[in-house]
This record gives sequence, C-alpha cells and structure tokens, in this order.
Amino acid sequence: MTKEPLLEIKDLYARVGEKEILNGFSLTIHPGEVHAIMGPNGSGKSTLSNVIAGNPAYEVTAGHILFKGKDLLTMTPDERANSGVFLAFQYPTELPGVGTALFLKTALNAKRRFEGKPDLDAVGFMKRLKPRAQALGITDEMLKRPVNVGFSGGEKKKMETFQMAFLEPDFCILDEMDSGLDIDALRTVSEAVNVMREPHRSFLLITHYQRLLDYIVPDYIHIMVNGRIVESGDKTLALKLEEKGYEDYK
Amino acid sequence: MKITNNLCLLTHNGQSETLSAKPGLWEIIVPGGEETVLSALVFSGDLSVRVVLTEPGASCRLKCVYLAGGDLKSRIRFDVIHRSGETVSDQIVKGILTDQASVSFEGRIRIPRHSQKCEAAQNHRAVVLTDQASVTAVPELEIYADDVRCAHGSAIGALDQTQLFYLMARGVPEEVAKKVLLRAFVRDILDPSFETYVDEWMEEHV
Ligand SMILES: Nc1ncnc2c1ncn2[C@@H]1O[C@H](COP(=O)(O)OP(=O)(O)OP(=O)(O)O)[C@@H](O)[C@H]1O
Ligand SMILES: [Mg+2]
Repeated sequence: MTKEPLLEIKDLYARVGEKEILNGFSLTIHPGEVHAIMGPNGSGKSTLSNVIAGNPAYEVTAGHILFKGKDLLTMTPDERANSGVFLAFQYPTELPGVGTALFLKTALNAKRRFEGKPDLDAVGFMKRLKPRAQALGITDEMLKRPVNVGFSGGEKKKMETFQMAFLEPDFCILDEMDSGLDIDALRTVSEAVNVMREPHRSFLLITHYQRLLDYIVPDYIHIMVNGRIVESGDKTLALKLEEKGYEDYK
Repeated sequence: MKITNNLCLLTHNGQSETLSAKPGLWEIIVPGGEETVLSALVFSGDLSVRVVLTEPGASCRLKCVYLAGGDLKSRIRFDVIHRSGETVSDQIVKGILTDQASVSFEGRIRIPRHSQKCEAAQNHRAVVLTDQASVTAVPELEIYADDVRCAHGSAIGALDQTQLFYLMARGVPEEVAKKVLLRAFVRDILDPSFETYVDEWMEEHV
C-alpha cells in the first residue's frame, strides 16, 4: 500500500488511576479501511477509544498515536475532533439544558472556524441536518430535546450515529454501536455507516457480535485481550470467535 | 445597564419593576390567588428578600441566579414566612463562582404552629470553577406546624468533566463548552430579560 496511514498507534500504554489498561497496543489504519475490534469485557476497548478521543481521565504512560502524520496525543480533544476524529460513545453523555439543535450547530461551527470557514447560516444548517436526520429516524421532537436526555438506549446510539453523519469526520470509532439496537435500528444505522464509506474515510468498529459485521463488512478483525491485540485476521476470524469464544487467548 | 459591583436585578411576576443597582431588603406580601414569581440575578453585594404568605392558596416561587467573580463577596438571604396555612413556597437558587469570589446563601423557611398543610421547598446548587472561590449554604428551618411538607437540599460541585469532554469530543473548544454548560445550568430558572447580562458576565469571567 502506497497510501500514508490515517492512524498509527504504536506501543501504547495507558491507565486510569493506578490501573494499567492498555499494555503495548499497536494498530495501523489506512484511509478507506474498516477495522473491527472484538474482545472480552474489560479488555480495554473503550479505554482505547477514549484515549484516541483525548479523554483526560485516562493517562497515556508510553507510546504514540499519529493521525494524518501528526502527533495526536499533544492535541486537545476539540483539536482532535476538528482534525477528523469522531468517537460514537458506548455510553453517550446526557447534557441537561443543552438543546440538541444548538449542540449540533455549536459543534459544526466549531469545526468550520477551525478550518477558517464562516459559520453556517440557518438555511445551510437545516439543509445539512434534515436528510441525515430523516435517514436515521431522528425526529424533530428529538432534536428539540436536550442532548440525550430521556432518550432510550437505542435512541442514544442512533443519535451518536446521526452526529457522525452530520459532522462527516474522517475517522470514526463506533464503540458498541450495536448494543441496545433493535433489528431494524441495527440495519438503519449500519446503512448510515455504509453510505459514509469512502476512500478517504476509515472506521474502527468495536463490537461483541458477529451480526454487526454481516451488515458492515470489515477489512480486518482484531482480537483484543488485556490491553493489546493478540490476533488479527480477515472477517472469518469473527466466525471462529463465535464458535470458540476467548478461551484460547486467556 | 452595565454590570457593576453591588448589582442585583429583580423581576416581580415578570416585570422588572425593581431593577436596581442597590441591593437591599425586599419585602413581598403574597395574598392568595395567582402564584407570585420573583426572579433575581445577583452579581455581588447583599440581597435580602422576605416573602410573607398571608392567605390560604398563596404561593410564591423564588428564583435566584448568582454569578460571582473577581474577589467579590455576596450574601443572599431568603426569608419565607408561611403566615397562613395552605400556602406554598419554592426557593430555587443556582450559582456560578469563579476567581476568589465568595457567596453565602441563607435560606429561611418559617412555618408557625397554626399554619398547617403548607408546602415549602428550597434547593441550592452551585458550580465552583476555581479552588479559591467559596460558597456556603445555610438552610434555616423553623417549622412548628406538624402537618406540612418541607424539602431542602444543596449541592456544590465542579463543572461536570464528563459533559465537558463530550462537548469537546465534538469539536467544541473548552471555553465555549464551559459557557454552553453553564448557560444550560442556569437557564431553567433565569428570567429571559437577564440573559444578556449572563452572556456579558460569562464573556468576562469564564
Ligand atoms: N474511569 C475508570 N475508573 C476505574 N476503572 C476503569 C475506568 N475506566 C475503565 N476502567 C477499568 O478498565 C478496564 C477496561 O475497561 P474498558 O471500558 O476499556 O473495557 P471494554 O473492553 O470496553 O469492556 P466492555 O466490553 O465491557 O465495554 C476495566 O477493568 C474497567 O473496570
Ligand atoms: Mg467498552
């Protein structure tokens, strides 16, 4: 492959408090690729997501992450996001009092300012919002509510995917996007992801279930145990896991 | 009006009849009938509000937002007297503190023995942005009637870091994210006519 990597994680160690969670994690993702990470509960998948997004609750103790060739770890979370990193959270945060529409406008204009563009006007904003909201079944009523407040588990996941479609990032991490989704919603959300697959955009799917990978077919699957990747392969690896579980890796 | 020391704004049932740069003691007599709503925005100084509920059916809602920055000190005192039975009062106070500011909130609820079947609530919440700022909340409950419902609570804490990270992870710079969260924090009790003052204060202090 002649293309430069989009994301390059090398020998990453990270911890929360006293607890070491990532133990020499390495992964390289090129533009256009879809990678999936599977691994037992507590193996550090969400920690990895949060470290990439820049959550200050997690401390990186060694290793590095390059994004588009730049040192990601020295950037603030907003700089990372505006450079193209997006994390669809496993447990999205509720923002009482912050209207969803205002939230989306604030996020989009932050990105535009970062790129030296003027703020988008109300018409431009609606033009961008409507079709994406419709595709994901996000109703006007949901957009009027405060961000994620009172949303069901599945609605929160749809809202995360919708934000991703709305902000059009280059690198999308979907942390257990499929958990809590009903069968129809799973199909809708997968479709929204597939529509976004483009030569310049990459995805990191974190999931426990092979079923998601029937809808969004990954180029690579990695198995993560105790904070590092223990095996990588193509999509058939998920079938093997479904059969045998994680026993062999522990 | 400019934000100055000792500024405190008040509206009474939506009317800013007592917009004032001189905090002081305000006494409000609430007879039965419509609910009386008192809204205050305090930047510093002393604000003292006494509310007297005089007839059955009287009800009063006291909403107060305080914004304390610099080395300013404020003292906010609410004194709600349920002179009659079957009266309702609700005090909601929300504050934001930064720099070395200090605030004390004293919320008193008085229900004499003869004032049965009253409902009184008091809730205070403050977000403290610096280690040097300080706030104390002192509830004073003088409740002598036995058939009443009374609830009070106070919560003081830092800005929610998970919420701040969520906004930043969507590309919103830290200072903007803080303002979004702080505006959301006070919005539900803020009189709409005060919004520009809050924005002005945040531009300077957050
Ligand atoms: N904020 C935190 N404080 C303390 N421990 C934490 C914190 N975050 C994660 N951990 C611990 O780190 C380990 C890895 O957690 P992480 O959430 O990354 O796992 P995961 O692979 O995403 O698991 P799951 O499949 O259940 O989502 C767990 O043992 C967890 O308890
Ligand atoms: Mg997880």
